[in-house]
Amino acid sequence: MSKSIRLVVMSLVVVLAVGYLVLTGVKQTGMQYMTVSELARLDRAPKTEGFRLDGTVAAGSVDYNQRVPRLKFQMTDGKEKIAVVYDGLKPDAFADGREVVVEGAYRHTERALYASKLVTKCPSKYEAKGLGKDKS
Amino acid sequence: MSDVGRLALLLGFLCSLTAVASIAWGLRTGMSGPLRAGRRAVWAVCGLALLSVIILERALLARDMTYRYVAEHTSKDLPIQYAFSSLWAGQEGSLLLWLLILSAYGSAFLFAYRKRLDPFYDAVAMVIACVMVFFTGLLTFISSPFRILATPPPDGMGLNPLLQDPGMMIHPPVLYTGYVGFVVPFAFAVAVLILNRTGTRWIEEVRRWTLFCWGFLGLGILMGARWAYIELGWGGYWGWDPVENASLMPWLVGTGFLHSVMIEQRRGMLKTWNIVLIALTFELSIFGTFLTRSGVLTSVHSFAESDIGPWFLGFILLSSTLAVALILYRKALLESENRMDAIVSREGSFLFNNVLFVALTFATFLGTTFPVLSEAVTGTKISVSAPFFNRVNVPIALTLLLLTGAGPVLSWKRATASVLKRNFVLPAFMGVLATLIALPFGAGGVYPLVCIFAAAFVATTIVMEFARGVQARKSADSAPLPTAVLHLVQKNKRRYGGYIVHAGIVVLFIGVLGSSVFQKEAHAPLRYGESLHLGPYTMTLRNVEERQKANATLTTATLALQRGSRFVGVEHPSKALYTKSQQPMTEVALHVTPMEDLYMILGGVNEDGTTSIQAYINPLVSLVWGGGLIIVLGTLIAISDKMRLRREEKAAA
Repeated sequence: MSKSIRLVVMSLVVVLAVGYLVLTGVKQTGMQYMTVSELARLDRAPKTEGFRLDGTVAAGSVDYNQRVPRLKFQMTDGKEKIAVVYDGLKPDAFADGREVVVEGAYRHTERALYASKLVTKCPSKYEAKGLGKDKS
Repeated sequence: MSDVGRLALLLGFLCSLTAVASIAWGLRTGMSGPLRAGRRAVWAVCGLALLSVIILERALLARDMTYRYVAEHTSKDLPIQYAFSSLWAGQEGSLLLWLLILSAYGSAFLFAYRKRLDPFYDAVAMVIACVMVFFTGLLTFISSPFRILATPPPDGMGLNPLLQDPGMMIHPPVLYTGYVGFVVPFAFAVAVLILNRTGTRWIEEVRRWTLFCWGFLGLGILMGARWAYIELGWGGYWGWDPVENASLMPWLVGTGFLHSVMIEQRRGMLKTWNIVLIALTFELSIFGTFLTRSGVLTSVHSFAESDIGPWFLGFILLSSTLAVALILYRKALLESENRMDAIVSREGSFLFNNVLFVALTFATFLGTTFPVLSEAVTGTKISVSAPFFNRVNVPIALTLLLLTGAGPVLSWKRATASVLKRNFVLPAFMGVLATLIALPFGAGGVYPLVCIFAAAFVATTIVMEFARGVQARKSADSAPLPTAVLHLVQKNKRRYGGYIVHAGIVVLFIGVLGSSVFQKEAHAPLRYGESLHLGPYTMTLRNVEERQKANATLTTATLALQRGSRFVGVEHPSKALYTKSQQPMTEVALHVTPMEDLYMILGGVNEDGTTSIQAYINPLVSLVWGGGLIIVLGTLIAISDKMRLRREEKAAA
């Protein structure tokens, strides 16, 4: 009997420890997902700084200084735009109109997101427009 | 030809249905005719899947643009090997590859047990056929690779340059072989429940199948890591990307299963738990396919969002509900034969190991799906990434690493104090010693130090186990030490193969520790003759040249590399600009030494004539690959152990 109690206690300890790690992990590293519009329409500085944004690269907005290297561009969800600054080399798949995910700190005074991570999605196929309908 | 392909898939669907129905009938009535017919139907599905693949490959290689799939994923200037690998570049083709591997597993299974007349194996084949019904159905009715365009374009859309890499040739098929393979252990477990079988024979059989696909899944993950490492912007060899996590989760639960299954074999305990684990592994591998295909989460692997997500979710729900129902229905069968005697024992440590593997999987699952979960619960979408996983998973993984050393040297049933003393004093001493040696090298922080302690601890226990084994055989074997070790491994491949896997894990952990804690970076715009300095290395730009290739323009920099004052070679980081898509593709240059990798990137030529070069020193990365290969080697050794099976057969005869 005491052995099964000990087993239960042991499992409980593991569950509690993992639960604690997950909770504090989310609290300290979690980033709020926002659309570009939601972030752009905030009228005062948000409480938290960490944000994760999904959107596309606005056409013609890319300003890349390879020497630094620093990449600036506007991100859009079709309605609003947000400036993004990323210190690092431009990823290969990065281009106008591409879907990107950025994570970083939002500075409300500059209305800009300083990205610590920039992921360009890797489409396995290009938009299949213009291929037309199936024959059968 | 496309009509033949479509017909083959439809026939495949019908054959799969036939196999299920016919075997079910045979099992019910005990007649052997329907069972034989069902087996043949499984073989037929394999043939039909192969035929479909050949037809699609022919179209891909011929760039037959009347096929929608060919037009979407290839172009006429695509090199032939990537036209070939385009089979798995898109959804429909990937599903077809899934089906081919699945039906090949089905056939391989039937071939392996062709001489056994036990209906148990037919029941296993029936479960595999059920999964075939799902995939042939998807390919026939929902996501056909044989759609034909009304007006074929003059040229195709082309394959994403990022996928035009040797990694593409091999990583997906190997990973799929692992993923799909978990169907077989799952089918075994379900067959045991359906037929109400007792005994541990199936456990030994299932262990080998599981080792096989577990090994392939691990190798696939390793290859993916390697590809991500040399591909710029994919976040290094591991970035806790949802799709990476999706492949890790079944591997973790599968690892737990491979351990706990030993307790069932040895002590007749944990039967329900094992069935739950194997079902979970299977569901997670289907879930992985679902994640990559559904677009619910954002990932580097973004495939066009598709309509097959709900089908996969439905399949997962249905199959897991059925599995749970069966487990409840057969509760009596899964009654434990023994009770645990003490917590400090082999069983106890394996149980703890299992709890931790499941916890690790659960934490990974939570983190991966957190955006969806948090939105459902609180309404705000919160996402977590690498820092979360490092925080949560690293302590669990380190505890597991410690157990890797402790588990195998604890005795079954109950470990006495003298056993503990004999087995743990030296390893603990070596652990402390290694930690003290590492301290002055700047290994700060709790986790790195725990990792070093654990690595030395585990390595010592493994060496001691080998030494003890050699010692025990000394009278029978007077061969020199290397031969004696070889004989020892040959004598019990399963056990020592397992230890070799553990050694690989230790090496892998050291590699991960080194490369994540001690990375260094430098970058600069350079003129010809100017140098970039990083650590002991000096990279001097000699020249930059541009060359025209078939489908791209290639810019290559030539760097003279010195370590200290010694010249070590010439490196060529380069960048290709693909003509059709105007997408650049960076090829990094790697200077590999056992202690560190120098990773060189060509940023590009700037307007003022300088050339941007960036470099990283990634310490101990070789150990990540080396550790991975040792794990594969250990798995191969363990898999080749047929001894127990034969012994059991003899005992049964």
